[in-house]
Amino acid sequence: MSIPIYTYDAVIVGAGLAGCAAARELQNAGKKVAVITKLHPLRSHSGAAQGGINAAFSDEDSVELHEFDTVKGSDYLADQDAVEFMCKNAPETIRWAEKMGAAFSRKPDGKIAQRPFGGQSSPRACFAKDRTGLTLLQTVYEQAYRVGVKFWDEWYAADIIYKDGKVSGVVAFNIRDMQVAIFNAKTVMFATGGYARAYKINSNAHANTGDGLSIVARHGLPLEDMEFVQFHPSGLSGNGVLISEAARGEGGRLYNAKGERFMEKYAPNALELASRDVVARAILNEIREGRGVGPRKDAVYLDVTHLGKDLIMNKLPELRELAMTFLGLDMIKEPILISATAHYSMGGIPVDIDGHARKNNKEFIEGFYAAGECSCVSVHGANRLGANSVLEALLFGRFVGKTMLKDLESIELRKAVQEDAATALKEIEFLLNNNGNESVPALREELQQCMTANAGAFRTKESLQIAVDTVKELRKRFKNVRLRDKSKLFNTELQEALEFGHMLDYSLFIVESAIAREESRGAHYREDFQNRDDENFLKHTMAYMDKDGNISLDYMDVVLGKHELRERNY
Amino acid sequence: MSTEHKITTQKVNFKVFRFNADEDYLPYYENYDMEVTSEEVVLDILNRIKWDHDGSFSYRRSCRHGICGACAIKVNGRSTLACKESMNDMVALFGKELVIEPLSIKRAVKDMVIDKADFWEKHDAITPYLVAEIDENPTTENLVSPKDAQKLDEADLCIQCGACHYACPVVEINEDFFGPAAFAAAYRFEADVRDNSESRLKDVNEERQGVWDCVKCFECAQVCPKDIDPIGKITKLHQMAFQEGVANNNVAVRHAVGFKKSIVKNGVLDEGGLVLYSEGPAIVKHLPVAFKMFTKGKIVPPWGITKSENLDEIQKLVKSSSTAKF
Ligand SMILES: Cc1cc2nc3c(=O)[nH]c(=O)nc-3n(C[C@H](O)[C@H](O)[C@H](O)COP(=O)(O)OP(=O)(O)OC[C@H]3O[C@@H](n4cnc5c(N)ncnc54)[C@H](O)[C@@H]3O)c2cc1C
Ligand code: SF4
Ligand code: SF4
Ligand code: FES
Repeated sequence: MSIPIYTYDAVIVGAGLAGCAAARELQNAGKKVAVITKLHPLRSHSGAAQGGINAAFSDEDSVELHEFDTVKGSDYLADQDAVEFMCKNAPETIRWAEKMGAAFSRKPDGKIAQRPFGGQSSPRACFAKDRTGLTLLQTVYEQAYRVGVKFWDEWYAADIIYKDGKVSGVVAFNIRDMQVAIFNAKTVMFATGGYARAYKINSNAHANTGDGLSIVARHGLPLEDMEFVQFHPSGLSGNGVLISEAARGEGGRLYNAKGERFMEKYAPNALELASRDVVARAILNEIREGRGVGPRKDAVYLDVTHLGKDLIMNKLPELRELAMTFLGLDMIKEPILISATAHYSMGGIPVDIDGHARKNNKEFIEGFYAAGECSCVSVHGANRLGANSVLEALLFGRFVGKTMLKDLESIELRKAVQEDAATALKEIEFLLNNNGNESVPALREELQQCMTANAGAFRTKESLQIAVDTVKELRKRFKNVRLRDKSKLFNTELQEALEFGHMLDYSLFIVESAIAREESRGAHYREDFQNRDDENFLKHTMAYMDKDGNISLDYMDVVLGKHELRERNY
Repeated sequence: MSTEHKITTQKVNFKVFRFNADEDYLPYYENYDMEVTSEEVVLDILNRIKWDHDGSFSYRRSCRHGICGACAIKVNGRSTLACKESMNDMVALFGKELVIEPLSIKRAVKDMVIDKADFWEKHDAITPYLVAEIDENPTTENLVSPKDAQKLDEADLCIQCGACHYACPVVEINEDFFGPAAFAAAYRFEADVRDNSESRLKDVNEERQGVWDCVKCFECAQVCPKDIDPIGKITKLHQMAFQEGVANNNVAVRHAVGFKKSIVKNGVLDEGGLVLYSEGPAIVKHLPVAFKMFTKGKIVPPWGITKSENLDEIQKLVKSSSTAKF
């Protein structure tokens, strides 16, 4: 049976903020665009962003200050040209979203309201109550729909067509009936989101399995700075569901079992609003040293009771609901239990400011682009600041759409052939028919436990080596997997198996990159190398996987600029 | 400072709807006995069934904290967002025998997964976007006073989970009816001072598909996991229709009369429904409070006791009051 081949000017994988923004840009200019997404667009994880989106447009604030905070927050690993571009275009981008319909909270004078966020010198996070991502995602999706973008939802992208330095399409299948199709295009963009699902305790959606990264990596293409995974200070105890930084931004305080406001020790000036990595490690350290609270002693208290019912109901209603549902605690009346949770992926597909994906330090891949959390521009460096990532997704998504539009003038379509789907078909065949004795949920549990324990907020050479060995072992065992569901209808077991295969591959990138980085910088904290080492490691990791699945590492210079290297303290 | 927080466990029996449209002629129910903890929500149970018992068990989910809208199902006949309902609350409400079913059995594709095409078609039909000229390079934002922003009345928080749509008795029997979620979406844009649509309000006032075919049973308000109160939005659309003079007066009036008559004839919903029409929509304000208490289990849930009878009667009512008759 032959596989249908659909032809487009642009194919975008992912319908979160980045994917939808790019799609609208291209379609609006009259191009033929397809968006492939394994979830209905409105289910994308962008909708979960609670706290806010940064833009320096108040009188007390400035674009330079936003740049400075971002660069400092990144522990100087961000590329300063990209940061400048983002901060400069942030006000326009947010106003553009507002013009399209985003329902921001307002100040008495009718302007968009802003709140303080960790690591920022001025209240800069524009917000819509505590559902900023939801209103942005709805708005961008709605306006993409309005201009006629074709969404292929509940389609799973399994592979890209990559030959001779050029990407010319995507191989995907319909989750509903397993029908495979080739999407042949002049330009392909990945906007597949983050990868924190590799960790047991994480704040991410089930869908955030980093498929896009390993799809790319399996073609021998690089992934950048994968060792940098952000641990957010406030995940609900036990399951990691996020309590947004807004809770601390509005004045929430942290206490340990002895009733001490322990941030006074770790960040005397910024206290609870120090940068995320600082607060997350402080919390974990309190727990490690026996001052944890809760039934498992695996948490600390987050207290907002002093803010009063009105403020909580007005500005943090969703957060209150979450704590009630998952902990049975009402934050109006009592402190809630939180601990650090794997939250955000700084690393990803290396791209330049225009979104062109890199083939190596010097060359680019023709016709291939990435934006949003799956990409590494890098504006976040070693640690991203709160409310900078929905900004990144929306802003770069949109600008990469513009880049593609420009490039379309010169890129030739390379016609797809049936053979292009071979790898994807083989992978699916294998998983459906393999008759081993391993189960995906059990293997995944082992991977996630191992990553949280050994490649989490605290790392050592030894712990990371355990993680490397475990991932390799799990990979072998995965070859011996068996699925129970053989049907073609909504085979979510098959989908979870494909996703797990991706998790294994990119997890190896995380741990191999981390073991080689013998310094502490931002979210990457090595207990055996506790200081930042600018002499040896002020550079981006570029990691490649060979045909046998082994990782090799290279490094790329950081783009420095007007913000000079300083020690980072809060 | 301390927080009393203990984890408890209890044994619960789950009867789970199973169906694969490709392979099964008829659906069946599978039994699972499980120890559930006070930390778990319904989605954790679905995960455990899939991961520990039967990998082929299928359902939609993503965010796992009530914001993506993927995971709506029915528990003991009541529409529920699986990741937002704690097992303790479910047991307190329904006891230790829980029936897990998809939102709409007749649309079941595989286990909890249903074909939601009708839901999205209805959503698409109400012009679901801000109708405005979009300035691609704005240097200022639109000024919207906090008071005007409030007018959306939380309609922008709808997560398109479909719980209300598949609980609505009119959707069940009238396939043209837009349904409560689409009306909530229509209201979201109509209430937005930045919107300039000329057709949306007219569309939602058309016969059979529009707001006048709602029978005000309040199911949608009861089941909404985000407290959107779609029926409240429908009432506001009624008011807007009159204010802006787009109400097809005949339809509206005929409808009100027919509705009243049939209520008298059937003898249901007097307090709720009739008062609404005689005293005007202001009364609606009080009702969500009562329904919130239902959903939070503070007063005896009506669906457990009288729901099916109620539904039957309402369906009769809809048939007899449908505009098609006139
Ligand atoms: C709980 C939470 C709260 C957050 N709050 C904030 C905040 O307040 N401020 C902030 O700046 N940032 C926040 N973030 C981060 C921010 O939300 C994300 O970084 C951003 O939304 C990512 O957008 P995206 O478009 O890159 O990806 P996503 O929105 O994650 O979209 C990914 C898309 O890719 C698709 N996809 C993936 N793999 C495949 C495949 N194989 N085939 C087909 N489709 C695929 C998915 O279906 C989806 O449509 C938060 C994150 C979390 C987890
Ligand atoms: S109140 Fe109206 S819209 Fe809501 S469920 Fe009842 S009939 Fe449907
Ligand atoms: S109104 Fe409520 S129940 Fe209906 S789709 Fe929206 S969130 Fe779900
Ligand atoms: S999984 Fe997203 S709403 Fe339940």
